[in-house]
Amino acid sequence: MPGQVDLIIWFLGTAFELLFVVCSLARKSFLHYFFLNLYLLISTTASIGRFLILWSYGQGSDQYMYFYYYSDALLTLTLFCALISLYLHVFGELRAGEYVKWGAVFLLLGTAGFSYAVVAQSTQRLSTSFAYELSQNLYFVGLVLTYILWGAVLKLRETRTRLVQIILSLGLYFSGYAASYALMNFSARLSVIRYICPVLGCFLPLSWSLTILRHDEEARLVPAQLVAVPR
Amino acid sequence: MSRKLGALVLAMGILVGAMGIKTVLSSNSKGTVMMANGPAPIPWPPRTPPKQTPPPSFN
Repeated sequence: MPGQVDLIIWFLGTAFELLFVVCSLARKSFLHYFFLNLYLLISTTASIGRFLILWSYGQGSDQYMYFYYYSDALLTLTLFCALISLYLHVFGELRAGEYVKWGAVFLLLGTAGFSYAVVAQSTQRLSTSFAYELSQNLYFVGLVLTYILWGAVLKLRETRTRLVQIILSLGLYFSGYAASYALMNFSARLSVIRYICPVLGCFLPLSWSLTILRHDEEARLVPAQLVAVPR
Repeated sequence: MSRKLGALVLAMGILVGAMGIKTVLSSNSKGTVMMANGPAPIPWPPRTPPKQTPPPSFN
């Protein structure tokens, strides 16, 4: 079983995920941000399932490993859909929704094809290796997509407070994970690093919940002076 | 049609960029995994099965 600190972070993260769904329902934004809610609902369910399996079989068991990686692939796919839904929010006014959907389908098929090509040599448990590889690759695709969305928000002078803050949180979340991944590869001995990923897992639902709680859908941001200064 | 082709080209560009970042970040990989979903403890990645050795023959 994991230590007390790990468990506290885990429970807090799951509670924050539920908090976002409750806040969305309370502020009547559930359908407006349906895919974000769907992602966090599936994440909560996966978290409960993981805990039950961990409790029954232990962290080193095959049962936990398989459940973790399959649920992670499902979650990464849902996160990808949530990210595309944010693209649709941003590009919806430009009537570019159809092209965003086509691009997303191409990207998903390309990532799946690439992942299959990587694991095709594996002879045993192809589906598990594929789920693991697809999850990893989709994560990095999501990272690039988020940076592009950041650029689009800046370029289009997006002023919807909720949307901007949700996208910024997602960008910080992805960047934090990428940084911690690089740190783990460079110095895996530091014990603090192993807490970074779970804490980041708490950060995203908490920041989204605070955004939904603090701002209405009609709230608008004043563009930063640096960006808005006319030439 | 050309816009759909543009979407395809952009998607392929994003895929290449993403795989490039993955390669750069994991160039010094020590078997760590990149899992970005939830605060649950991360298990070891799926193991590669050990090579099957033929049973000893009875000579």
